Amino acid sequence: MGRDTRRSRLVIIALLIAAFTLITLDYKTGRSANGARGVVHSALGGVEDGVSAVTRPIGRTVSSLAHPNRYHDRADRLAQDNAGLRRQLADNAEIGRMSKQLGDLRLLADKGQYSVVPAKVIAVGDVTGTDWTVTINAGRDDGVDVDKTVLNADGLVGTVSSATAHTAVVRLACDPNSRVGARLERTQLLGAVAGGQGPSALTFTLYDASFRVQKGDRLVTFGSMDYVAGVPIGVVTKVTDVGGLSRTAEVKPYVSVGTLDLVGVVVGRPATDPGDRLLAPQSVPTQSVPTGSAAQTPGTGTGTTPGTTRPGQGGTG
Amino acid sequence: MWDIADSSDTVRVRTFVVAIALLAVAFIGQVSVVARLGLPGGRLDLVLVLLAAISLIEGPLVGAVSGFVVGVLADLASSHVLGQSALVMCLVGYAVGLVMDAADRSVAVPLAAIGGASVAGTLGYAATTSIFGAAALTGGEAVVRALVAGVYAVLLTPFVFPLLTAVSRRLSGRLRRGAR
Repeated sequence: MGRDTRRSRLVIIALLIAAFTLITLDYKTGRSANGARGVVHSALGGVEDGVSAVTRPIGRTVSSLAHPNRYHDRADRLAQDNAGLRRQLADNAEIGRMSKQLGDLRLLADKGQYSVVPAKVIAVGDVTGTDWTVTINAGRDDGVDVDKTVLNADGLVGTVSSATAHTAVVRLACDPNSRVGARLERTQLLGAVAGGQGPSALTFTLYDASFRVQKGDRLVTFGSMDYVAGVPIGVVTKVTDVGGLSRTAEVKPYVSVGTLDLVGVVVGRPATDPGDRLLAPQSVPTQSVPTGSAAQTPGTGTGTTPGTTRPGQGGTG
Repeated sequence: MWDIADSSDTVRVRTFVVAIALLAVAFIGQVSVVARLGLPGGRLDLVLVLLAAISLIEGPLVGAVSGFVVGVLADLASSHVLGQSALVMCLVGYAVGLVMDAADRSVAVPLAAIGGASVAGTLGYAATTSIFGAAALTGGEAVVRALVAGVYAVLLTPFVFPLLTAVSRRLSGRLRRGAR
């Protein structure tokens, strides 16, 4: 039965033709199967939501679930109690972690006067691992819509690329197709941040070649119709192209893609541009990039005078 | 050629359904659980491992058809071109199914076939993505990622393959392998 028979060869040929037909249709007509995709997204979204809700606590405490079915003697019962308490502790830690993330997000949203809808990441990428997207558990019913900005407590995450009733797919800023209008801190100089360099690097192109981009410069979103302004993007790590009409630089994003958990979708924009308010306070010179991450302790508030050298560095050239 | 159902075995239909259901569960596990683990070096591709194991046990026909169906499902759930992973998974299922006969001979054959399928499948994904969409990875990254996926697949095979063989025997009422 069915080694490499004539029939199985016919079937594979038919399937290959079907696959190429699908590819051609979808590639030529753009988003041709939006209806079917929507159905699959909303069906899978519910399942994925349930799966991540169940597996997340279990993953942390799987070691403490020792003998679930044996209540025969005292020792076993005590072990059971112990496991239960340990699980509760782990749950508490999880809740504490979640509430801290929520608090951080709230703080950032308040600084920018954004209205955000908080959501959790319920699926990462797709089966091929080449899509730079995440699925979140908030959708149209929560006010999330296509092209809304998504951020977390660290900064810009991406934009909503499609939304169903209860889930939405977020295209990350590091996706090769993603382009985000950005400006340098303290200036109004416009550029674009593009992905395609992997998860921990972005490319910044400054349109005005007469201005010098420097290592350590920080970027925020420029803002447009659906895109809110002032969301921190990242910090310049290397200026790559100094000739030509525009300048490009490598940018290290504030958000680390690997640890995305709680995100917020900006559903309401502030009346005025929040400017550079959302960037972490920093008065150290641009030279000391390695210590920049260490100096970025939350809660330093308004002080931000590390007492080190050269505080007069303000204008960036 | 569509006489799958009436060719004297309704067992086949059940096999198809179980294979596709297993792969669909693996797909959700992949995006919701495995992708969030942050495994060192790269990623484990649960779907490719299961698909290769199923094809190795059930042959090229089941492998190609179930790979295609789950591939279309995965494409619908993603944001890339429709049919892209269906193509790769269909080919992987067929190719692994061709070495079905050799799988009885040695333990090394399933290990090599499933590991190889993960490597080839991951490279296939990278290749189709760079052809039909924007290249998300450079060549070197794709090779490293494929090799890491292969290593994880080889580690997982000793657990998955015997389990699926047992399931297959029970389903088919020891028609095929039990006779030997």
